[in-house]
Amino acid sequence: MNIIEDKFSVWQKRFSLSGFENKSSELAFVQVPADQTVAFITTVRDLDGYKHLVFFTAVDLLEDGVFRLTYMLHNYTTKHDLGIQTDISRDSASMESIHHLWPHGATYQRELKEMFGIDFPGSPGVNESFVLEGWFAMPPMRRDFDTKEYSEATFFPRPGRKTFDTQEYMKEQLYPSEAETW
Amino acid sequence: MSLKDIIAPFSVWKRAFEKPYTTKKPLDERPGAARYRGFHINDMNKCIGCGTCEEICQNAAIDLVPVSKTVHGDSGLRPKIDYGRCCWCALCVDICPTSSLGMSNEYIWIDSDPEVFRFIPGHDDKPWNNSELGYRRAEGYDLLEGQRVAMPMLSFEESKKSFVEMVQGYSAEQARLEADRCIACGICVATCPAHMQVPEYIKAIRDDDMGEGLKIVYNANPLPASCGRVCSHACEYVCAVKHKGEALSIRWLKRYIIDQIYLGDYQKVLDEGEPGNGKKIAVIGSGPGGLSAAYYLSLLGYAVTIYDANDKAGGMLRYGIPEYRLPYNQIDKDVDYITSLGVEIIQNTKIGRDIPFSKIYDEFDSVFFSTGLTDPYGLDISGEDLKGVIPGLEMLDEVTKGLVPDIGSSVVVVGGGNVAMDAARTSKRYGAEVTILYRRRKEDMPADEEEIEEAQGEDCILTTQAIPLRLEKGDKTRLKLYWGKAEMVSEGPGKRPKPVLIEGSEELIECDTVITAIGQAADYSFLSEEITAKLSFKRGYVEVNEFYQTADRKIFAGGDIANPKRDAISAIANGHSAAKGIDIYLTNFRKLN
Amino acid sequence: MVDAKKQDPRSKFPPVEGGKSRYNLTSGKYMKIWQGPQHPGITGNMSLELTVCGDEVVDCKTHVGYLHRGFEKLMERRKYIQCFPLVCRICVPEPDFNEYLFAECVEELAGIQIPERAKWLRALTLEMARLTSFLMWIGGQAGSFGMGTIGQWTVTMRDYMLDLFEELSGGRIYHMYIIPGGVRADLPEGYEGRVESTLKQIEKVLKDVELALMHNYVFKKRAKGLGIITPDMVDEYGITGPNARGSGVKRDIRKDNPYLIYDQLDFEIVTETGSDAYARTWVRMKEMYQSIDLIRQMMKKMPKEGPFFQKLPNVLHWKVPAGQTYHKSECTRGEYGFYMVSDGTELPRRVYVRGPSYTHAVTLMERLAVNTNIADTAGLMVSLHTYPPEIER
Repeated sequence: MNIIEDKFSVWQKRFSLSGFENKSSELAFVQVPADQTVAFITTVRDLDGYKHLVFFTAVDLLEDGVFRLTYMLHNYTTKHDLGIQTDISRDSASMESIHHLWPHGATYQRELKEMFGIDFPGSPGVNESFVLEGWFAMPPMRRDFDTKEYSEATFFPRPGRKTFDTQEYMKEQLYPSEAETW
Repeated sequence: MSLKDIIAPFSVWKRAFEKPYTTKKPLDERPGAARYRGFHINDMNKCIGCGTCEEICQNAAIDLVPVSKTVHGDSGLRPKIDYGRCCWCALCVDICPTSSLGMSNEYIWIDSDPEVFRFIPGHDDKPWNNSELGYRRAEGYDLLEGQRVAMPMLSFEESKKSFVEMVQGYSAEQARLEADRCIACGICVATCPAHMQVPEYIKAIRDDDMGEGLKIVYNANPLPASCGRVCSHACEYVCAVKHKGEALSIRWLKRYIIDQIYLGDYQKVLDEGEPGNGKKIAVIGSGPGGLSAAYYLSLLGYAVTIYDANDKAGGMLRYGIPEYRLPYNQIDKDVDYITSLGVEIIQNTKIGRDIPFSKIYDEFDSVFFSTGLTDPYGLDISGEDLKGVIPGLEMLDEVTKGLVPDIGSSVVVVGGGNVAMDAARTSKRYGAEVTILYRRRKEDMPADEEEIEEAQGEDCILTTQAIPLRLEKGDKTRLKLYWGKAEMVSEGPGKRPKPVLIEGSEELIECDTVITAIGQAADYSFLSEEITAKLSFKRGYVEVNEFYQTADRKIFAGGDIANPKRDAISAIANGHSAAKGIDIYLTNFRKLN
Repeated sequence: MVDAKKQDPRSKFPPVEGGKSRYNLTSGKYMKIWQGPQHPGITGNMSLELTVCGDEVVDCKTHVGYLHRGFEKLMERRKYIQCFPLVCRICVPEPDFNEYLFAECVEELAGIQIPERAKWLRALTLEMARLTSFLMWIGGQAGSFGMGTIGQWTVTMRDYMLDLFEELSGGRIYHMYIIPGGVRADLPEGYEGRVESTLKQIEKVLKDVELALMHNYVFKKRAKGLGIITPDMVDEYGITGPNARGSGVKRDIRKDNPYLIYDQLDFEIVTETGSDAYARTWVRMKEMYQSIDLIRQMMKKMPKEGPFFQKLPNVLHWKVPAGQTYHKSECTRGEYGFYMVSDGTELPRRVYVRGPSYTHAVTLMERLAVNTNIADTAGLMVSLHTYPPEIER
């Protein structure tokens, strides 16, 4: 537990880390400003043994107008996972690429471009479609993409289905005209 | 390359002589495992159509469709499953509060018509309907909680000594836990006479939003502090969760909301109502019916005057229910909010005695009376007029007024309703030995289950199937009550069995006081003869239409006098309906938001 | 991607421009071939866009998306309990890892402790799922080199495992057994005996598979030297599981970050040093024996009775406290993980599924396919043990 806290104080001397969440002896999250993120990742990869990029993904915090990027790194020596998080603006979202650190970073970035619309200039093939060939609507993992609305517009429901609300139905059956809550 | 690498693969030729894995055609039946999640089964008699299966289904595979007759506690709807969507996860089985839903181990069914794969399990005839095998919720695994959060209560030892409120109320933590048990099916709403939005106010507790809760409660019930304590809670008898054990404490959760908000803060939360429209309404009787009508009428902009014969408002809530069940300050809380809206209550004024009915009839735009049942029935046995025989209501009334009732040291209460229980327990608090005599069996008693339990807990002796025969003057005590044993005689299926005296049986109880609590009748003497002639009556009740309007269009009536359900919440509902009726009668119906 | 520096100088390879090879398909020298999405030599619904020169692959591009059902998005629109029947579908051969990780994440965020017996039952199903998944994989590995019979044996064994799952959970493929709070049912009567007899049968077949496959000249000839993953590639490409262990990298989450009750079991991490498809096959073969052993250990060490489920708050309106967490486990293909973010409402804010195939089937496959023979791509791909739905979730 303490090892990672010591590490954190070391990192803090070089980077303006804005948050630190020590979940367990195996997992911690650290918040880094966007412009220092790739430098920070490079540091922890090369100096602190976080050599394994476990995953890289985004969370759409629509209410705050940001995407929260999470780079999960793993240190095989200390058996510790470090989630490096940074918030970037949702409008014309763009982030520095990490494909030079891990080749599969490019795959993650390609997916993030497609699913969230986050651009990673310079990342190989970032504009190529990954999962959604021929998709032109809003990047579907964004919170404001309404899957239900999309599915209702795209598909048709099976005809002949009708359901009754228990409370409403009992009202119709048992006390249709009685005054209750008005 | 070693020789082994050439030979080794050939060595497995030996498998050619082993029993093959394949099965001979035609395939024998291969039944699914005992826990197999196959086509659903549903016990039509157990299912109550609560719709929880539909709620939890993440595939929207379940529709609720009308199948059987709607009755209280059973919507009559049954789940219809679209197997084009069902993913066989069986969460619907796990969550089913009645455990009516299960799954068979049947999985093979081929048909070229896709429509057949949408059916009502248990209702539509399927070969697996009586399947013993198949998935059921396992013992030791449950998604719902069947046990109530225990209510902190005074012990019987303590409670029988004083008039301190026995039920102490939930803490925030307890209330949230209890509210969390609700499955929000809404089955209780139909059964509540006032159709309170129970799932919504319970949700407000879960969300810790007391203001919202108060608003929802006041939408249908302006006497929640009282009702949260003494309501007959018909809702709890039909609660879907009751099928898992204990019903939700709906009544006490309502009380929890009210207990959290000071009277002074009500105004910040509740709607003010419409501006005055200049019309005047008279309400006779300040019981739950009258107060409810007054509240909703005043929200609609009417000037309401309540005439009440007693010293304080509340009617039977105050004078018929002992303080340990309903503290007077709680009635005050309800009444004070209603008066704060501008409703005028004129106390100690009995219509027909102090003011003639005709005067009110002429002065006001409309009249609502909810005077209740005030004339106690007699026992109809000899010796009834001896000293020491008093009606239960009279005794409770005296206690409320602060008088010490003259009951001596031993009391027999005759009756099995709430008044009987209240009289018995009140007598206990004055130090008397109490015996309750009831004609029928314990399960026939009209009193609330809790009241019977608590009366017995406080050491009141309950003697059932006992019919009073005659009263005589006692030797050591004031009275001697002779009673006979009754046997229950069936009156045919579906009917309540009748108690019939066993000839020759006779028992004696010596006591100082006999309290009669076998019901009351209405007193219509306050009405003028001319009005009485206009109204129609049936079995002692004044006849009204669905808006609680009597045969005289200007007169509305509700509560016990017009409603055989005879409880506070029905009276409140009547008052509400009458307010709507009066509004329609006087203007045109407008929606109050 | 073809790395310019590592480019073979032979002239038949396409010219490099700006670090990228450029083919002149009209030259007649190169040809594009699609392997998949419907192809016996492809795992699941995925396809490889191969550029070949003769029968040698000069470029490979992985295409996914044929199975995209948007699970991660769907979960954002469902209550926590409603996600439970969804998650298992992310991986057909071993759905239990999804169920376990989802449950583990929710339990951590909601602060729920599950009973001891539930942990053992969970570990038991996970290990059974590993064995089941490996049994199916052998079929692919042998089949891709033309030895379909071996696959028939093992897939039958897999079916016997599915019978066990059916008996335990009520479902053969999607078990939906591990639910937040514990598991849904206890072991059936006499289950232990039936597990043991199935394991014995599997052991016997595995011995035959060893003879017919691992000691098979044809298989050795083709699998040895195929798809070499050097140890330094392991971190670079984020390689986990048997693919890393086949290169002598001794890593196993069950041992390194033990979850459930794995710290109470006795086992060693299996490694091989061959770094090629053959070595990876050996790792998996040995891990099957290991799984059989672990299942037996668990059956022995498991507490014989006790609760298997911890009551949850009412799941119909369960608000999981805000927070985030990541949990991982060792599935047959490597590190399987769930990253979950809750915003304190009834619906999860974000659930991210980390499948090992994400790197194995895309970046790594694109790299390893180059210079292989077209006939070996199927074998190579199966030797990476990839599974598309965890790529596109």
